[in-house]
Amino acid sequence: MFGNRKLAGLTIFLLITAMILAGCPAPTPVVIEVEKEVIVEKTVIETVVVEKEVAVEVVVTATPVVGPQKGGTLVIGLSADIATLDPADYRETTTETVLRNMFDGLVTRTSDGRVLLELAESATLVDETTWEFVLKKGVTFHNGEALTAEDVKFTFDRIISDNGIDYPEPHTSPRKGLISPLESVEIVDDYTVRLHLSAPFPVAMQMLVHQQIVPKDYFEEVGNEGFVKAPVGCGPFKFVEGSLSEQIVMERFDDYYGGADELPPVGPPPLDRVIFKILPEASTRVAALRTGEVNIIQKVPAHMIPLLATDPNVRLVSGPSTRPAWMEMNVNKPPFDDLRVRLAMNYAVDADTILETVLGGLGIVIPGSLSPYNNFADPTLEPYGYDADKALEMLAEAGWTDSDGDGFLDKEGEKFAFVVDVRPANKDRAEAVAGQLQELGIDASVRVWGDYSVLKPLMLDGERTAYVGDWGDSAFDPVGHFEAKWHSRVEGTGNGRGNFSGYSNPRVDELIEAGEVEPDVEKRHELYDEAQQIVYEAVPAVFLFLPDIVEACTVNTQKWTVAADGRLNMHDVWLSP
Amino acid sequence: MRAIKVLERVLAVIPIMFGVAIVVFLFMRLTPGDPVDIMMGGGGYVSEGEIENLRREFNLDKPLHVQLYIFLSHAIRGDLGNSYVKRAPVTELIAERLPATIELALGALIFGLVVATPIGIISAVKQYSALDRVSMAGAFLGISMPAFWLGILLMLIFSVRLRWLPVAGRIDYDAGLQTVTGLYVLDSILTGNKAALISSLRHLVLPSVSLGAAMAATVARILRSSMLEVLRQDYVMLARAKGLVEFLVVAKHALRNALIPTVTVVGLQVGVLLGGNMIVETVFGWPGLGRLVVQAIFARDFPLVQGAVMVYAFTFVTANLIVDVLYTYLNPKITL
Repeated sequence: MFGNRKLAGLTIFLLITAMILAGCPAPTPVVIEVEKEVIVEKTVIETVVVEKEVAVEVVVTATPVVGPQKGGTLVIGLSADIATLDPADYRETTTETVLRNMFDGLVTRTSDGRVLLELAESATLVDETTWEFVLKKGVTFHNGEALTAEDVKFTFDRIISDNGIDYPEPHTSPRKGLISPLESVEIVDDYTVRLHLSAPFPVAMQMLVHQQIVPKDYFEEVGNEGFVKAPVGCGPFKFVEGSLSEQIVMERFDDYYGGADELPPVGPPPLDRVIFKILPEASTRVAALRTGEVNIIQKVPAHMIPLLATDPNVRLVSGPSTRPAWMEMNVNKPPFDDLRVRLAMNYAVDADTILETVLGGLGIVIPGSLSPYNNFADPTLEPYGYDADKALEMLAEAGWTDSDGDGFLDKEGEKFAFVVDVRPANKDRAEAVAGQLQELGIDASVRVWGDYSVLKPLMLDGERTAYVGDWGDSAFDPVGHFEAKWHSRVEGTGNGRGNFSGYSNPRVDELIEAGEVEPDVEKRHELYDEAQQIVYEAVPAVFLFLPDIVEACTVNTQKWTVAADGRLNMHDVWLSP
Repeated sequence: MRAIKVLERVLAVIPIMFGVAIVVFLFMRLTPGDPVDIMMGGGGYVSEGEIENLRREFNLDKPLHVQLYIFLSHAIRGDLGNSYVKRAPVTELIAERLPATIELALGALIFGLVVATPIGIISAVKQYSALDRVSMAGAFLGISMPAFWLGILLMLIFSVRLRWLPVAGRIDYDAGLQTVTGLYVLDSILTGNKAALISSLRHLVLPSVSLGAAMAATVARILRSSMLEVLRQDYVMLARAKGLVEFLVVAKHALRNALIPTVTVVGLQVGVLLGGNMIVETVFGWPGLGRLVVQAIFARDFPLVQGAVMVYAFTFVTANLIVDVLYTYLNPKITL
């Protein structure tokens, strides 16, 4: 009997110890996010200047650093699976993030969005529809094969031809849409290619960033399936082994030509090995970072920022994202069919406070629908700003007052109540918005939809009232963003495919369509400024903020910065001892 | 006789699988959400005709019965189609993930049984003792604790604080394991790689405990209550009266009879372990089938979901069959 008691005591003791050791963590709901921000650029007429300018290096480090140390294995905790190892056969960002460490393109993009030459030595616009690229000489693929014009042609032919991809069954590359005007590739000589377009296509450079070159001879030797299983590129790291669901291991390619000339240091990467490990659960990524099992993690959730900020072994790294956030309101349904009510909402919500409390201040408040970092954002727009009295005044004007004294506004006997829809990832924001509206006597409640694909068609059909969400503009251009959100919805096209407020204005449609084909940058600015102005005044949404991308790394990770488009470029990164 | 009955049951699996295939096919298509639209994502431009092209490629432009016919006629030949998102044959994707799921389920099963069996027996033999009360309270806790919470708790204690075990993954890269079966622990033994064995076992501990805790609790409670019932039977009294040592009474006469309901529960739990582990797989970055299916469901990757659900159905049916066959050994009075 005594023994049993002792055991019981021991069990309880162990349980309590466990709780204390664990620091009684708050249970974290497992949010399985299927987030696919597709970086897609469109045929937009715009002049792209490939600047020959030296990147400013910002070395963020705790200790004085002498220079890059060679060697070491760096592990990255990715938030989602990788779709494939074929650079022509996917349509989401995580895969691109990984593959671009193995494959290089004709051009590349810096973490702040500038386009630079990579495999190309020069790029010339021969005429309106022809680009000529001269390739760098002496570039070799991981198998020793030299890069020539043949490889470039082969790469693009696979992407643009119908059923150009053979594995697992013949189909057309999902990346064809990224360079839809490309008609053919002509080999001028061993190191010169011409890209022939069906129409003027000045954003070719921004678009070509997303196309990586594969070696023709190797590909033809091993076939499509063989290539997917053992990919060969000419990027800074070569594929060693790995599975798409677990981890991808790459090693330094010693014969690397060095990458973009304007992005020093030019040469093989310092790291011996890079491992991309898939850790979909945020708490796991954070735990793995704290133990040093991984060196860099993607997508640090806002509520874990304070925890990481106090860890001396961890450094938080953040920078502007490309996903502005709003609360969209259904403009075709009461109560938001009244412009005064929508305006009142913009005064009633204090975006600054939400940004501060929910996102730890990491981000900026935005005045309109475009990110301020978008190349065509109208700088004259100002956020409406929080003004509760003005909000109540406007609501009263629209007929909403607390006539029965129950603490909630009402109109014609009906209480001002509505549901804010949200995806699990943005739940905290939505609750903060609803909480602020509650204080003003608006009975806003939040409904979290675990499966966005169920909610989305309902919103597009105008069956929902309000939605706290975001939309990406990773091309830093209104195209891909503005027409999706504010153009009238046209089924089966990109126009209005994310228009959840049901907003429709013929003038805005006109301006958007004109902006997509306008070659003159100045005129394009005018078109988009007017469109933004109209949307700003029509307030189909409460414009909230542009949250930062928050990533974190171990303190010994050097030369690591957050890229606005979420890319994880390991070329220059090194580990200090 | 038994062999014929077993064969009958095995053959019955075929119509069941057929039914499952049709049901999952229809359910996926009845669920709101369009795979092509999801593929296009939240942000970025969609070029002219791109959506229609993809719909055509996936046969989504054809009437439902034609799609069903295409699916079934291929499935009969063992071709479950290609994943929309992963661009690879579904059978290959499942085969790649299945070993990880099986290894984790086995780990959880072994943990569950090793913990539950002695607790169940001793609690029954020493009913109302302190040990009984503590272990039943523990079992209650085990059932109530969500696996992801337990997983994160264990991770914080044993990985972050104590640094005894790794946070996530299946094996260290530098262990240099050559895969044979895909079950890393087994492969390590087969290839005689000691470093890989240690590494894979270390990675397996926390996920197994998280996944197996609920099962251990369930089994311990069932075993205890059936043991209690059996211990009151006349034949147990007779065994004691014969002067058998208590250990033999419990182990030989009581336990064997108490095992029948327990085996049923374990059999069902095996299905749960194989099919219900997406949460634990997500928490521990375990590259198994559960995680793949969850992603596939959210992406409306129809072929992949269909294939995976068929694998699950097959597992459940097989587990039940094995349980039924086991019954006949445990109690010869039961026939199939």
